[in-house]
Amino acid sequence: MKFIRPNDMEGLFQNMEENNDRRYFLAGGTDINVQIKNGVIKNAEIIYIKHLKELNGIQIVKDDIVIGAVTNITEILNSKIIKENLPFFQRSLESFASPLLQTSATIGGNIANGSPTADVVPLLLVLDAKLEIVSKTQTRIIELNNFFTGYKTNIMKTNELIRSIIIPRKAENGFDTYFEKVGSRKSLMISKVTLAGLKNISHSKFTTVKLAVGSLNEYPRRLYKIEEYLTDKSLIEINFLKVEELLNEEITPITDLRSDKEYRYHVCVNLIRTFLNE
Amino acid sequence: MKIKFILNENEVSIDVDPMKRLLDILREDFGLTGTKEGCGEGECGACTVLLDGKPVTSCLVNAVHIDGKEVMTSEGIAQEPLGKLLIDCFDETNAVQCGFCFPGFLVTSYHYLITDGEKNPDKIKKALSGNICRCTGYQKIFESVMLACERKPLISTDQVN
Ligand SMILES: Cc1cc2nc3c(=O)[nH]c(=O)nc-3n(C[C@H](O)[C@H](O)[C@H](O)COP(=O)(O)OP(=O)(O)OC[C@H]3O[C@@H](n4cnc5c(N)ncnc54)[C@H](O)[C@@H]3O)c2cc1C
Ligand code: FES
Ligand code: FES
Repeated sequence: MKFIRPNDMEGLFQNMEENNDRRYFLAGGTDINVQIKNGVIKNAEIIYIKHLKELNGIQIVKDDIVIGAVTNITEILNSKIIKENLPFFQRSLESFASPLLQTSATIGGNIANGSPTADVVPLLLVLDAKLEIVSKTQTRIIELNNFFTGYKTNIMKTNELIRSIIIPRKAENGFDTYFEKVGSRKSLMISKVTLAGLKNISHSKFTTVKLAVGSLNEYPRRLYKIEEYLTDKSLIEINFLKVEELLNEEITPITDLRSDKEYRYHVCVNLIRTFLNE
Repeated sequence: MKIKFILNENEVSIDVDPMKRLLDILREDFGLTGTKEGCGEGECGACTVLLDGKPVTSCLVNAVHIDGKEVMTSEGIAQEPLGKLLIDCFDETNAVQCGFCFPGFLVTSYHYLITDGEKNPDKIKKALSGNICRCTGYQKIFESVMLACERKPLISTDQVN
């Protein structure tokens, strides 16, 4: 195992010039240490990033809230900026793991690790979050919904990392919000479904609906087809069998899951129904 | 890698593999065996310590994370007035059976006591939600912490940060 602790961003990029698909970043370490223990990560090159100031902190930049990738969940829960601008996001993170994990776990690590069950991702998806991805020579801003490419894979090259998460300051304004996790972490491989939602209603029709789901397939994602179907409909015009059909079209299920695909889809549709009824 | 940190109020330094787990550093390099390894995966809380005053699972923290920081273990907390109070309350309530989980609960309850300390069952449950006990069914543990909250005002807190 090779270990690097760069002093600053320059040192970081110097160490990242060559591509290396055994490269991992050590932020909070709550995922990496489990993976090392279980032998999933071996002979790795590990670059420590938790101490880099350029990757840390929560700021308002014009119309956006910018959260540094190594900012931990406790910091987000205690942030005044988040409380004032994104209270739903903040509230929803209270159920993240346990208080013991919240101090270590970082937001960037949660996204980059790319678990289908990553809690933060469905929330960030309905908030239209973007990622700032940096390498020595380039910065690119991409929509979170375009970040994942498969089970624990994403569009980042090995000489890139996430610098920050960008959320529009008014992302929650005027919306009814919803966040629900079904199933406990212990049983997460068989029963967990996560749904995040935003909606607003005018003259009893849904004018905007944003939905994102976790744990249903290889990575969390927005449900654009369902959103489109629901828009401009009132509750009685919605056919939930149609919603389930669209869910099937939109999502390829996790392949290593045994028999409970149907069950998860039902749970997901029920969550959508509950959210719309609220 | 050489790291320096404050361990139970003493400055210490050690030359160590930067990825070595804090749990192993405490047990192997400093002989502080109060910190226990249960699951080794962040699920059980038996390895909880305070890092810069916040509870963390030391099985998921690496040497590099603690350089320049302050670590407080159950042994350190047991020397503090509020730590002693907690131990007495756990004792009085008979909340400890095999005792394996106790150091972790001590650290987490101590953190709750110094940062909040309200005698509020919901808050206490939430604060302790990362610690698992296989023996007791938790009720007595919650009662102990409730009792400590009640008695906290009677304790001289000069040394409490
Ligand atoms: C007991 C337990 C309970 C948990 N409960 C939950 C839960 O309820 N909800 C949930 O969503 N997650 C949960 N997790 C998962 C985990 O805590 C999160 O995914 C955490 O946010 C990861 O962040 P980290 O800083 O610890 O990542 P690390 O372990 O440091 O890194 C994880 C991965 O991300 C990469 N990485 C880290 N930072 C960057 C960056 N800036 N740019 C590019 N790549 C990067 C690393 O290369 C590595 O592959 C749980 C984990 C445990 C052990
Ligand atoms: S041993 Fe660290 S949480 Fe279980
Ligand atoms: S007393 Fe045995 S695990 Fe808690």
